[in-house]
Amino acid sequence: MSIKIEGKIKSALFGMGAWSLEAKNGEVYEIHQPAPSELLHDGLQVEVTGTIRDDVMSIAMIGPVLAVEHFSIVKL
Amino acid sequence: MKKLLLWGLFFVGLLWALASFGGLATNGKYDSIAIDFREDLTAGQIESQIKSIDSQYNLSLKFNSEFSQRDHVYVLKGDAALLAVLRKSELGKLTESIEPNYIYAIPPLADAPEQSANLVGQLPEKSGQSPISKLTPNDPLYARQWNLRDLNIETAWEKTKGEGVIVAVIDTGVSQVDDLKGTKFVKGYDFVNDRENAADDNGHGTHVAGTIAQTTNNGFGVAGIAYEAKIMPLKVLSSFGGGTVADIAEAIRFAADNGADVINMSLGGGGESSLMKESIDYAYQKGVVIIAAAGNSNSNSAGYPARYPRAIGVSATAPNGNKAFYSNYGAGVDIAAPGGETRGENGENPDGGILQNTINPKTGESIFMPFQGTSMASPHVAGVAALIKASGVKQPEAVLNILKQSSRKVKDDGLNYFGAGHLDAAAATNLAVGQLGWQDFFRWLRDNGYLNPRFWLDGGAVALIPKILMVLGSYLIALLMRRFSPFRWNWSFNNGLVMGSAGLFAFRGLYIFDLPQWPFRALGSSLPELGSFASGTSALNPIFASVLVPIALVLLFTGHRDWKWFAIGSTIGVAACLAVSAATSTEVMWLGEGFAAQAFLGVNALLCISIAHLSLKTEANRV
Repeated sequence: MSIKIEGKIKSALFGMGAWSLEAKNGEVYEIHQPAPSELLHDGLQVEVTGTIRDDVMSIAMIGPVLAVEHFSIVKL
Repeated sequence: MKKLLLWGLFFVGLLWALASFGGLATNGKYDSIAIDFREDLTAGQIESQIKSIDSQYNLSLKFNSEFSQRDHVYVLKGDAALLAVLRKSELGKLTESIEPNYIYAIPPLADAPEQSANLVGQLPEKSGQSPISKLTPNDPLYARQWNLRDLNIETAWEKTKGEGVIVAVIDTGVSQVDDLKGTKFVKGYDFVNDRENAADDNGHGTHVAGTIAQTTNNGFGVAGIAYEAKIMPLKVLSSFGGGTVADIAEAIRFAADNGADVINMSLGGGGESSLMKESIDYAYQKGVVIIAAAGNSNSNSAGYPARYPRAIGVSATAPNGNKAFYSNYGAGVDIAAPGGETRGENGENPDGGILQNTINPKTGESIFMPFQGTSMASPHVAGVAALIKASGVKQPEAVLNILKQSSRKVKDDGLNYFGAGHLDAAAATNLAVGQLGWQDFFRWLRDNGYLNPRFWLDGGAVALIPKILMVLGSYLIALLMRRFSPFRWNWSFNNGLVMGSAGLFAFRGLYIFDLPQWPFRALGSSLPELGSFASGTSALNPIFASVLVPIALVLLFTGHRDWKWFAIGSTIGVAACLAVSAATSTEVMWLGEGFAAQAFLGVNALLCISIAHLSLKTEANRV
């Protein structure tokens, strides 16, 4: 089931690096990779539609893994 | 005449060995002296003493470190002559010790320019010196591995370096980078690309494997915890560092079926999965210790797979010992280990990370990189679990108990940041060796060649049953004595038990053409038999087959950390040997094989037990 989340893209310093989406309610999601490179910019305000991948584990372990379906940039 | 010559040679050898035993720290250099004033002295009394030394010798005393004031420890410049003078002076009565302040050196980092250049991020040069022991590895970047010193790893290496243990690294794969070239690998698998070659294309798994078993003492790069253990590389995560529960569950089963002793999973996330839980239970039933990272979202409770009951969940600590800012905590955290923080209050802080050799995923080249994360904490525990397994403790439950019991407890850990406490490799290996049961003792006897089925079959040269009774008897006496004066079982003690009771008796039956047989008889003799090996008879020499040798050993080695246990063990061993000899009416030189000989052996056996009992009681009081 797809969900829509608005928040800020942030890089996370785990391993060689990972990307997170910090939602307005404080929840942190890990962006499932590979993801569009236009999305992966520190500080980018975005609205992302995607699904939570319950079957995926990662080295970053920063939150639920979010597989991006589409996104739109709210603010650069 | 020949006999006399052999005796002469034996005693010359014995005296030489004793004379050349230099004690523990006699060879160090020093140009200063450390003075430890008695704890009961007031600050005023100490101050007046310091002033008197200042004026008498024209020297100034300084605190050794910021902690020294509390401990009343001072240092002053001086050599052996001054040391002797001070020890004889009035000062002796007011101090706990006046000792040479030995100089230790760390290999300068400047020796490894090519590696420093490979570091991502600028690691500041270290200027201070840290104490080194004979087990301090010569890896030039070891000085920056605060995380290994935090575990007391060097003391643990005195016991084991993980030889014979297989650690499965379920991760992004492992590449044999330069500083893993000397590390042993076993066959692994790449579950992402379905092939046997499980090379790393991310850099995470290679780093994790480095913490566990980086090639150490190779004069290059950094060190690892259980560097004689073998790595089983299992790739389940893609080059982006993510992977499916199905692949991970499969990898766990692969590890269990292919002889892994420990599994490290520096990964997490997702929901509960019965597939994964079953795999973990399966591996656990097969005796595999499963360790997983608690997660990096600074949330209350560990993520999966760390939160499964059969997995050991590991939270991460920063260099200052606090919980790392990112580490999960609470339910599911069993123990804490260094995970590092590469981002400090003032921005980037590579020195606060965990430094290992890995690959640059963009170029594939070998680099040294500091990482942070519970991913880094987990392999610390996996490495120490490997050391525990190598010490002889095999069951996962027992390994977890040792990890927990040996950890450094944290007071007021209300939110369970640290589980049982901070991981301590030295205490863990100590405890592991001390908790061995009789199965472990006999496994150890077998592994060390004391018990060998081939010699059992070919045992004509020695009366085998009394020998086995002697070893068994010594073990039972030791077990009984431990009930009264608890002590930690250790290998020196085991060696003592064997050498005192039966010796390496298999050697007694060894003959080589054209070589005299007496050296083998000497090697194959227990302590009580040493007095008669030269004569080739089985009659015991009453000087050796008595309490005299154990007394001498106990007196000689009472101050030595390992040898004192050999002395106590051999005293118990001799007791068992003499008791069995008395029961089997063994002949004693000059006394025959009648009542006089039996009484002599019996009384000496009892005396040996008393000596061992007294020594163990003294040890227990000392603790």
